[in-house]
Amino acid sequence: MSATAPRSGLFGWLDERYGISPLIEFLRHKEVPIGAHPMVWYYLGGMTLFFFVVQIITGVLLLMYYQPGEATSYESIRYIATKVPFGWLIRAIHCWSAHLMIMSLVVHMFSTMLLKAYRPPRELTWLTGFGLFGIALGFGFSGYLLPWNELSYFATAVGTDSVKSVPVIGHWLLLVMRGGEDVSINTLYRFFAGHVVILPLICAGLISVHLLVIQRQGMAPPIHGETARGMPFFPNFALRDLLLWLVCLTTLAMLAVLLPYGPGLPGMEWELGSKANPLAPAYPGIKPEWYFLWIYQLLKEFPAHLLGMEGPEVCLLVVSLLMGVWAVIPWLDRTAQRGRHSPGFTDLGFAVIYFLTFLTLKAADLGVAETPTNDAETAVVATFCAYITLGVAVVATLTRVLVYHHRWFVLSAAALAHIALHGLLGWSYLTVGAVVAVVTAVVLVASGQLRTGAEAGVES
Amino acid sequence: MESSTDAAKHTRRSFLDLVLGIGATGWLASVLYPVIRYLTPLPSAGPSGPVKLSADQVKTLDKERFVIVPVQGKRILVFQDPAQNVRALDARCTHEGCTVQFVPGESVIWCACHNGRFDLDGRVLSGPPPRPLSQYLARQDAEGGVTVTPQTA
Ligand code: HEM
Ligand code: FES
Repeated sequence: MSATAPRSGLFGWLDERYGISPLIEFLRHKEVPIGAHPMVWYYLGGMTLFFFVVQIITGVLLLMYYQPGEATSYESIRYIATKVPFGWLIRAIHCWSAHLMIMSLVVHMFSTMLLKAYRPPRELTWLTGFGLFGIALGFGFSGYLLPWNELSYFATAVGTDSVKSVPVIGHWLLLVMRGGEDVSINTLYRFFAGHVVILPLICAGLISVHLLVIQRQGMAPPIHGETARGMPFFPNFALRDLLLWLVCLTTLAMLAVLLPYGPGLPGMEWELGSKANPLAPAYPGIKPEWYFLWIYQLLKEFPAHLLGMEGPEVCLLVVSLLMGVWAVIPWLDRTAQRGRHSPGFTDLGFAVIYFLTFLTLKAADLGVAETPTNDAETAVVATFCAYITLGVAVVATLTRVLVYHHRWFVLSAAALAHIALHGLLGWSYLTVGAVVAVVTAVVLVASGQLRTGAEAGVES
Repeated sequence: MESSTDAAKHTRRSFLDLVLGIGATGWLASVLYPVIRYLTPLPSAGPSGPVKLSADQVKTLDKERFVIVPVQGKRILVFQDPAQNVRALDARCTHEGCTVQFVPGESVIWCACHNGRFDLDGRVLSGPPPRPLSQYLARQDAEGGVTVTPQTA
């Protein structure tokens, strides 16, 4: 259709007034590159967006009954889950979709990282995406407290406590987050405001920028531009997106009906349990949601004091450093900037995946029946989780070698050596980490590969 | 103003920029200051003197050998040591802030979150807590009533 041809109906009416046909024209010409990577990576962003929309709809529905307050938070959610017709379903979908959204977001982030879609001119896409990742974690953290049950109370007490390690303004930040010295109903009021107003607004803004820059620039072509082929975004790709969303919705509905309180995995269940009681002592087995487990485990690996600082402070410094490096990857990866393959960064992606996998599994206490209370049981967990991580790594490495012809493995080898020495030989996580980091740095410098491997210390 | 040189124009320009900058900063500060103050919670009110435990709290203390009571916005662990003395410690673990408990069988203070252990004076025995728990004054009178004083002992 040409922009000037008169049209009848609603489209014509709108087009005459607002000139919308160039928009359709634009979407028709926009193409999604095909042939180079499996197409699946291009759908993950749209899938994340879908789950976010589900969150808004179910969140607003929950708001119709939810009442924040000492005497009402827990009670109103119990009311939603037991009395309100289909209340259990709305709550189950909100919870399931929250977890699935973060899963698809994490996979989306790692796939764009491994495909180097962050390279110029798409630095802003990466940065806004990283910001959205932070916002999603904030949604999960603040939503977790809203039912005001025992588990969420302690998880929030531990989680908010870590901000005290921020230099200079740490204590003030803690007070502002908690609305007082301790986690109390004031904390819930603040988290509630954050969860239903502040975060959704920031998120909508970031999503707009993220999508706008993507629409302006199109999808990143593969490095070397092996493909000349493309698929029109509209209607071909958009229809595929739509089909996927239907599949997601159906999956979501099935999960919510079959497992309304979650799969019961560590950090992935939302049984209401008993009401929060700030004056009850903590009990063993308190865990945050699964996407925080790695930080939770890292905090445990640090001793009370290290390098003249308190353990948790050093740990949060390390986590901030890792996050910082992750955020500025588009500027660190000089090779991809010049449009060439950067095997060092591909390998960094895998090293980070192994690092996170091991810590997450270990935090979930896999391999023992109950929460370990002594060093021997902790060692059993470490060994078991090391075997799983190494198994995953063997499969991944074989695929990389045979299918993708990767040849550079220094960083992922370092990450795996760290896990093996700690898990299988029982050496201290931190000591091995430091040793492996130094050895890796020496190897990289000696082999003159520091340019591709400048991030050697990152993993440990 | 044909008479003014480029240099004079330049200084006038940078002077105006400076004034504008100061104005903008002042404006921003006057907007942010009330917001920051608004978000900073007031110190929790409440009696600053000794706090007497309620009958229920004393009953729990007798039954469980310990009870956690709120004193001036803090959680205080009140417990009976093996010599039947009533004592008080800060109930907030110095590691990540979980609530500790008294384990009568082992005569230790235990934090379940990361397995931190303290002795009855609040000193760290094992686990990740970096600092001891603060001690508070607790007194039991002849009728069995218990008072906690929110000053560290
Ligand atoms: C990315 C988006 C979001 C995520 C990841 C998320 C996550 C969560 C989580 C994990 C909970 C705790 C569920 C539970 O244990 O019961 C929760 C609860 C809640 N959320 Fe969200 N949420 C999101 C968006 C929203 C939005 C946009 C609203 C409203 C405008 C909302 C309103 C609520 C309410 C009222 C609750 C309490 C009900 C309940 O806990 O079942 N959420 N959210
Ligand atoms: S919070 Fe008490 S040991 Fe970690």
